[in-house]
Amino acid sequence: MSGKTDVWQGTLALMVLKTLETIGPLHGYGIARRIEQVSGDLLSVNYGTLYPALLKLEQEGYIASEWGVSDNNRKAKYYKLTRAGRKQLEREASNWEQATAILARFLAPAKEAP
Amino acid sequence: MRGLRAWLFRLLGMFDRERRERELSEELASHLQMHIEDRIRAGMDPAAARRDALIRLGGVEVTKERYRERRGIPWLEIMRQDVIYGLRTMRRNPGFAAAAVLTLGLGIGATTAIFTVVYAVLLRPLPYPQPDRLVYIKENLVTGINFFAGNREFATWQRRSKSLSTLAAYMSGEATLTGVGAAERVTTGSVTASFFPLLGAQPVLGRNFLPEEDRPGGVRVAILSHAFWQRRFAGDRSALGKVLALDGQGYTVVGVLPASFLVPDRYAFLRGHDYDVWTPFALDPSGAGFQLVRAVGRLAPGVSREAAQAELDALLQPLVRKGRTKHVVLADWQEEIAGGVKRSLLFFLAAAGFVLLIACVNVANLLLSRASAREKEMAVRHALGAGRSRLVRQLLTESGLLALSGGIAGLALAFWGKDLLVAFISRNLPVVEPIRVDYRVLGFTLALALLTGLVFGLAPALESAGVRWHEALKGAGRGAAGGRSRHGLRDLLVVVEVALAMVVLVGAGLLIKSFLLLRGINAGFQADRVLTLRVNLTESKYPTAREQSLFFQQVLERLQGLRGVQAAGATGNLPLGGNRADGAVTIEGRPESGSDIASATVTPGYFLTLGIPLLAGRGFTDFDREGAPGVALVNQSFVRRYFPNEDCLGKRVKSWFTKNQWMSIAGVVGDVREDLKKEPPPEIYLSYLQAGRSSMYLVARAAGDAKSLSAGIRAQMAAIDRDQPPDDVMTMEERRAEDLAPRRVDMLLLGSLAALGLVLGAIGIYGVVSYSASRRTHEIGIRVALGAGRADVLSLVLGQGLWLVLIGETVGLAGALALNRVVASMVFRITTTDPVTYAGVAAIWAAVGIVACYLPARRAMRVDPLAALRSE
Repeated sequence: MSGKTDVWQGTLALMVLKTLETIGPLHGYGIARRIEQVSGDLLSVNYGTLYPALLKLEQEGYIASEWGVSDNNRKAKYYKLTRAGRKQLEREASNWEQATAILARFLAPAKEAP
Repeated sequence: MRGLRAWLFRLLGMFDRERRERELSEELASHLQMHIEDRIRAGMDPAAARRDALIRLGGVEVTKERYRERRGIPWLEIMRQDVIYGLRTMRRNPGFAAAAVLTLGLGIGATTAIFTVVYAVLLRPLPYPQPDRLVYIKENLVTGINFFAGNREFATWQRRSKSLSTLAAYMSGEATLTGVGAAERVTTGSVTASFFPLLGAQPVLGRNFLPEEDRPGGVRVAILSHAFWQRRFAGDRSALGKVLALDGQGYTVVGVLPASFLVPDRYAFLRGHDYDVWTPFALDPSGAGFQLVRAVGRLAPGVSREAAQAELDALLQPLVRKGRTKHVVLADWQEEIAGGVKRSLLFFLAAAGFVLLIACVNVANLLLSRASAREKEMAVRHALGAGRSRLVRQLLTESGLLALSGGIAGLALAFWGKDLLVAFISRNLPVVEPIRVDYRVLGFTLALALLTGLVFGLAPALESAGVRWHEALKGAGRGAAGGRSRHGLRDLLVVVEVALAMVVLVGAGLLIKSFLLLRGINAGFQADRVLTLRVNLTESKYPTAREQSLFFQQVLERLQGLRGVQAAGATGNLPLGGNRADGAVTIEGRPESGSDIASATVTPGYFLTLGIPLLAGRGFTDFDREGAPGVALVNQSFVRRYFPNEDCLGKRVKSWFTKNQWMSIAGVVGDVREDLKKEPPPEIYLSYLQAGRSSMYLVARAAGDAKSLSAGIRAQMAAIDRDQPPDDVMTMEERRAEDLAPRRVDMLLLGSLAALGLVLGAIGIYGVVSYSASRRTHEIGIRVALGAGRADVLSLVLGQGLWLVLIGETVGLAGALALNRVVASMVFRITTTDPVTYAGVAAIWAAVGIVACYLPARRAMRVDPLAALRSE
């Protein structure tokens, strides 16, 4: 309705990891906001997808969580990147770059064609 | 790796749910709050901000549900729910649960107990290196299998075979041990030097035999079993180098075997004893002389048993005498060892399986009746959204729970039952290691429990799933006799149950009758108050017949003077002794007789002591000695066969037992059985003063308790020669019981299984009839209201149940007739189609059926028509 797209599965994990790398430890709401902002409000993250994704990343050991207090004194669960998560981010990011580059070549007008 | 980690965490996620749920709620709440606060800061009014947040973020409950799915493992969660629910159902209905668990426990317990023994005997690998490569060498003589090989063949194989990497021979024997403390009869094993290395046995003390000790004229050395070392030397290391005298010949101890080393014995030749002392075989490598050996070997790497058999057979053929046929048979050693009991063990396992099936049928029936009582519950669940597969799953989980509880009960039973079983039959079990419940048996029980759970749970579960729910909700099923198809299934189960139980009961009946017949047989002697002792004179000390008879004469003189001894004698072979010597006897003026004539050397007092009647002529006296005219006594069977119509007294016979001297028949004595299962053979008795023997049984009749004579007799014998100790000391009654022991074990085992089947079957019939009677309360109420008398009600309920029993019995009798070949080898003196047994078993079942049906029928008779009709 609003022209916003739901984040599609698979990329959400990557975005979460990248967000945590850039900003450092952050709570679920912060992560969601950040992703929406970075996307220029083109993406919307509802928590029905966010929290299971966070849980999955935590189970896989890429992120860790602990309870903390937010800026406006609210109790919140903070997530932070683990060492394994950092490696996974590198790996996934380069995979993704490669994939988009390949796709870009396909979609670009065929300049090299003689 | 990551995936595994994640699964582990998901597994953990199933625990501590309360805290996790709380944290999730808090996290989502704080998310929501932060969102709302942001909106308010951006200028929205609080109510609108909240609404916006809820819309944008999606439903809280949906999120929680998705989160939970990721947190735990959904199918495991469902199982957990089902298990908890199942346990609650069991707790709510303890009577039902107890009946089901007990029934299953009995079935599983019986099966597991027997499996424990089957596993130890038939399946557990022998405790030697690479046991599957060990082979036992037999010879097929066409007329039968010879379990021994001759030393000539053995030497040839040992020299030339390439398909066996090691070949060894062993043989068991007995000897009188002297030279270290009190004299004692010991069990000896003669082995080639290759025997212990073949089985991977390394002495814990000292060394193995050397090849040069293992030939004629080699140094005499001995290796002790661990138990014997402990018993005679208290585990003292100084036993090494000691010299033992075995039958008067000195052997130097060079080693002690580990406690774990045992050699199993197929035919229980050792009668429950283990080997005490091992000595080198000293087989002549040239194959000269004639010695029997038991040969075992290890297949060379890569060689199949068939190939090795072909090679050994090719090596054997040149040695076979012309006109005779002989072939090598290579058997897997374990199969060879277990061969003697395999059949009966598997038979009992099958019988236990029958009982387990009966138990399954019973529980299936219980579940079916409960399923109809739960129809409404199921319908409600279905209406609330549970799919059929989900309901089946829940029911199967419930039966799985019952089965597992039954399995645990069964295991407890098996633990105890196995000891009982082993105590019963261990003497005849060729096992190397102790029989125990180990993880493989546990696995078997678990698998058995799950399988039974599936077997008895599937039918009711599928039935329930097939119910027409809305009808059940409306209550249409109540009052009527229940769904027709369900009724059919339940009836079928009862018929199956009765039939299975009948088959086992017929088998047990045959065994019991056969046992009672055997026990009642008059063996021809009076067994009470008689003590028997075996004496084996060391032949190096008593080399001639004269010296041997002199020894026994002295012993008997002393015995007759002993307090408490009424009569005493001696014989070469005891009745029921299993050591009868058969031979040919020639009667003067006739061709040589058959070679099945039993022969025994006895003292004059023997017949009196055992109460064997003298029927004609005279018995032996001390004047029937060397130098006097040869005399013999014969039994009635002998007279019946050779002198049916004439007087045999004074006729002359000869046998190779007396170096073919003619002996005149001086008297006729009563028949004595060698084996309760067989008719007494023709027998000829010789006087010990004319045919001396080094090995005889002393028999003494006591005024009181026979056992009490033992010490006195031993003392008297020791006073003559303390190096000739008696062994195999038993009362005659004990020998008789021992002769019957295997039959008794068979009978008790099958009898208890049959009794179990009978009880379970009776419970099954009772359950079905009382259930259907209670479902028909309404109908019965109408009938009574319309004027049906008590007798009509009785015959209505009774008739239905008995009809089922009758069908079951018919099927069972047919099944028993078809299967009774299996018990043929355990049944004696009756045929396996013995009509009396079949009729008796049918009558027992009819009686049980009547009782099981009468109880619910009596309840039905008391139905108050008013109450029954109002309850609708």
